[in-house]
Parts: sequence; C-alpha cells; structure tokens
Amino acid sequence: MFGIFKPRTFFNLANNSIFWLKTIFVLTLIVGLILALVLSPIDYLQKDTVRIMYVHVPSSWIALFIFLIIGVSSFVSLIFKIRVFSVYAKSLAPIGLVFSLISIVTGSLWGYPTWGTFWTWDGRLTSMFILVISYILYVSLWSLIKNYNLAEKITNIIGIVGLINIPIIKFSVVWWNTLHQPASITLTAAPTIHSSMLAPLLIMFFCFCILSLIIFLIRYKYEIINFRVNKK
Amino acid sequence: MILEFLNMGGYGLYIWLSYAFATFSLIFLYYVSVKKLNSIKNIEHLYQAEKATEVSVSQEANRF
Repeated sequence: MFGIFKPRTFFNLANNSIFWLKTIFVLTLIVGLILALVLSPIDYLQKDTVRIMYVHVPSSWIALFIFLIIGVSSFVSLIFKIRVFSVYAKSLAPIGLVFSLISIVTGSLWGYPTWGTFWTWDGRLTSMFILVISYILYVSLWSLIKNYNLAEKITNIIGIVGLINIPIIKFSVVWWNTLHQPASITLTAAPTIHSSMLAPLLIMFFCFCILSLIIFLIRYKYEIINFRVNKK
Repeated sequence: MILEFLNMGGYGLYIWLSYAFATFSLIFLYYVSVKKLNSIKNIEHLYQAEKATEVSVSQEANRF
C-alpha cells in the first residue's frame, strides 16, 4: 500500500509522465485563459475585475493545500522518522511559496478597484500574510542550515506549527468582520457562484494543479538525487 | 476591438498586471527548478548505478 510513497516509484513517475502532464497543462491553460479572459461574463458589481478571480482563487487554494501537505508530511517525518516525507515537503515548499505570493499580489490588485485599498490588516489578509512568512521561513531555513538533520528537524517543526494557521485562514471570513468576501465554494454546500464563472475557475485550478505536479516532480527528482549522492 | 479587449472596461491595468505577475512567477519557478535538476544531471548516473547494484544484490539473494 505504501509502495507509492517510495522514492523509486516517484522517480519513475517523474520520468514517464512529464510529457503527458505538460500536454494536459498546455491544453487546459489555453481553454482556461479563453474562458477566463474572453468568454466568462462580467460581474454585475465588480465588472471586469472579476477576471482576476481566475488566477487569485486557484493560487490561494493551492497555497493552502500545499501547506496542509507540508504540515502532515512534517508530522509523519518528525514522529515516525520517515525521511521521504520531509523530502516531499521540501520539494513542495517553493511551489506553495510562489502560489501564496501570487495570491497576495493578485488579491491586492483586485482589492484596489473593488475595496479602494491594496491592503488592510484584516483577518483573511493577515492570516495569508502569516502563511507567506511561514513559507519564506521554511524555504530559507532549508537553504541556510547546512546540517541536513538539523534543517529537517527545524523545518518539520515550522511545518507542524504553521498548520495551525490553515483553519484560521479558512474561517477568518466567518470569525471576523473582514473586507474579504465569504467563500463562494465550499465542500459542504452548493456553490453560490454561477456555472459560467465556476467552469473557468475550476479549469484554471486544474491547470495550476497540473503545473504544480510537474514542478514538484522535477524538484523531487532533484532532491532525491541530491540526497542519495550527498549521503554517500 | 483589440484596444477594447485590452482595456477590460477600464480595469485592464489591474487585470493584466495580475496575469503578468502570475505568469512570470510561475515561469521563474519552473526555470529555476529545471536549472537545478540540470545542474546535477551529470551525477544522476550515480543514483542509477546504486539502483542497478540493489537489483543485482536482491537477485543474488533470491537465488539462495
């Protein structure tokens, strides 16, 4: 059952699937961009600025989801001493960092024409800012600490502690009064967004997921080779 | 018509800046990741050699 977590399985997956993943990525990107920028309707209130949503929301989802994986992997690595999970987390972290930065920047660019400000220290924005800081801390400590075991331990702790922030981000729009709108799509209820906007949103999300997987496989391959060679 | 599309109802600057930032960030991330992998491609054979050794050892072990 745990065979899929073996480095060699992922190594082979990386070699065999990259071409197909790239093909799917290009196709979904073309369809997603046409839908997002041309065919999707404008919002009655936000007008054309709603098109920023097709980049902002998928980036935020991926940034959150990746940190969730990092947190769980860090926990498994720290408690059960299964080192491959910290390699997963290390490979994923720069991807999550970039998506969280995209989320913050596109959110600010969306905020100015709709809220009248690029930034405000409300619940959602502050918790997202903390997520970016957690990512920066996680990625930079891996580069700064030369002792692999020490870096692994410290980053695992950051991953586990940072996990606390994930539900705070998710429920910040419910717990506090914020400028940020509540979630339009949840796992427990029907989406409150029209299907003509939901389709490009989900396609762009799928497209970003594929891209994340491609970059993860490249980085994971690098980390495994690097780890094996340096171990000798 | 093209200008109208680029203008995006007067919000073109914010929309195109968002898409441009996302595009350049992701291209940069992909480029850095590929460059990192290519930098150690010359030592990939060490990993492959290790795999070959492990396989031959396990085959030997299975014989007895």
